[in-house]
Amino acid sequence: MKLSRRFALTRLLVLGLPLLVTAAFIVGPLLITLAVSFWRKKGFGMEPDFILKSYELFFGGPRLEVLERSLWVAVSSTAIMLLIAYPVAFLVANRVRADLTRVVLFLFAAPFLVNYIIRTFAWADILSRTGPVNETLVWLSLTPEPLDWLLYSDFAVYLGLVTAYMPFMIFPIWLSLSGIEHRFLEASWMLGEPPWRTFWRVTLPLSMPGVFAAAIFGFVSAFGEVAVSLILGGTGYQLLGNAVSSALNVLNFPLAAAISSVATGMMLVMLLLWYRLFDIRLFLGKIMGRN
Amino acid sequence: MGRLRGMNILAWGFLALVLLFLYAPLAPPFIKSFGGPNVLTGGLLANYTAILDDARLLKAVRVSVIVGLMTAVIAPLLALLAAQAVRSWRRPRLIVGILLLPLFIPGISMGVATALFFKLLGIPPTLFTIAAVQVLWALPFAFLVILTVMANFDQVYLEAAYMSGAGPLRAFFQIELPQIHSGITGAAVFSLIISFNETIRTAIVQGGHNTVQTYIWSHYQQIGLSPSMYALMTLMIGGTLLLLGLLAFFDWRSRTRD
Repeated sequence: MKLSRRFALTRLLVLGLPLLVTAAFIVGPLLITLAVSFWRKKGFGMEPDFILKSYELFFGGPRLEVLERSLWVAVSSTAIMLLIAYPVAFLVANRVRADLTRVVLFLFAAPFLVNYIIRTFAWADILSRTGPVNETLVWLSLTPEPLDWLLYSDFAVYLGLVTAYMPFMIFPIWLSLSGIEHRFLEASWMLGEPPWRTFWRVTLPLSMPGVFAAAIFGFVSAFGEVAVSLILGGTGYQLLGNAVSSALNVLNFPLAAAISSVATGMMLVMLLLWYRLFDIRLFLGKIMGRN
Repeated sequence: MGRLRGMNILAWGFLALVLLFLYAPLAPPFIKSFGGPNVLTGGLLANYTAILDDARLLKAVRVSVIVGLMTAVIAPLLALLAAQAVRSWRRPRLIVGILLLPLFIPGISMGVATALFFKLLGIPPTLFTIAAVQVLWALPFAFLVILTVMANFDQVYLEAAYMSGAGPLRAFFQIELPQIHSGITGAAVFSLIISFNETIRTAIVQGGHNTVQTYIWSHYQQIGLSPSMYALMTLMIGGTLLLLGLLAFFDWRSRTRD
């Protein structure tokens, strides 16, 4: 008994300390950023204070337009990503042979792990006026001259965002879908429901934890985007991340902190919602064992 | 029957189309790396050899390798400890929630936050601060990989070890580790890949130290891309795919041995 108490104490220290430090490194910076967002900009630095100037600058000026655009682009591109990722995850979970599942998932994961900025540069080449897409279109006489809207446009930004973040959204959805009890589907079938109603009433609701997690990931990534909007959107196309980096460029740290905090705050609200709606153990049950 | 086959073709066609869009961007850097004026005078690999003449770039390569190795060692270790904690304590939701948090924070917000954190603590930008940011970003991925492997490990073995008189350390190293080490190696390779491909977070905390990625990024913002930049990108894509191949190999080996 004595030994097991010492064991528990040692375990607390060995596992708890690194965990505590890690948690401090994750949560600490976010709290400090929130604090700095109320500070005063002073010359090239800043000083502690409690003012709302940075938030006024953000919500009151032309940056409000950036916020509105970011919200719209994030919501709509997340919807597009879900419309692609869900069918992919569904097919992988239901149509692909079990022994091939890992290979197919791996094929979808590989490009996601190549730096997305490099992939975004590549899209700029593919979509440019002298790029392969335009050359092919002109060669096939489908268009008299190169299309201008392929690059430096909403189309390019959406394409960049979707190919950058959609691959990772397949996994949480697949995780949810592959964890669904087959007996539920069989029960629905035995009760005489057609396949689409089984999907609508059983499969879709049960896959919601994965869909929601994927949606938060896609939304947050698009919302705070820097590189895709800069490279594919052209001059003046700003998303929230660009607003942060332009605030950093003029050394206005409180403003950068305020915009960052708004983005983090929105993410936290969505995560809390997710946390209240779904049981994380239900979703990660397969991964976390039976705790 | 015919309808079913039609559906199947449609399904596979859809998957193939999505894959085409995902893999298409890997080609242009490769093609462009053999273009430009240098190739006419200096031979086909001129853009690649130009990399070796750039002292700043070589320094960035060194920084990338050091930081990458640090990330590949620290992230899996922390992830392993956290995963053990999830299993030992009955509060998995809190631990999982906090560790997965960086996954959902916009890259630039996380960069700004960590930069301010270090600034206020009076810690100057070094390779360690770069590594810290990259570890935080790699951690959720490493954590998920290790959790998956540990879920497949039956704890009955540990109880058997305890009953035979083994202490917790010995039980871990002799019984559990041999069974989950493929997951830890996998998490390490994964972390290395994540580190190699991180740009935005690193660019904010880097101070004077460039990694290869931030070097390309700042080069683009200041003067645009040159053919040797494309050569560099091609090498990075190749390196990432090579590491992924290694990952797939570890995975395959651990599966066929069971």
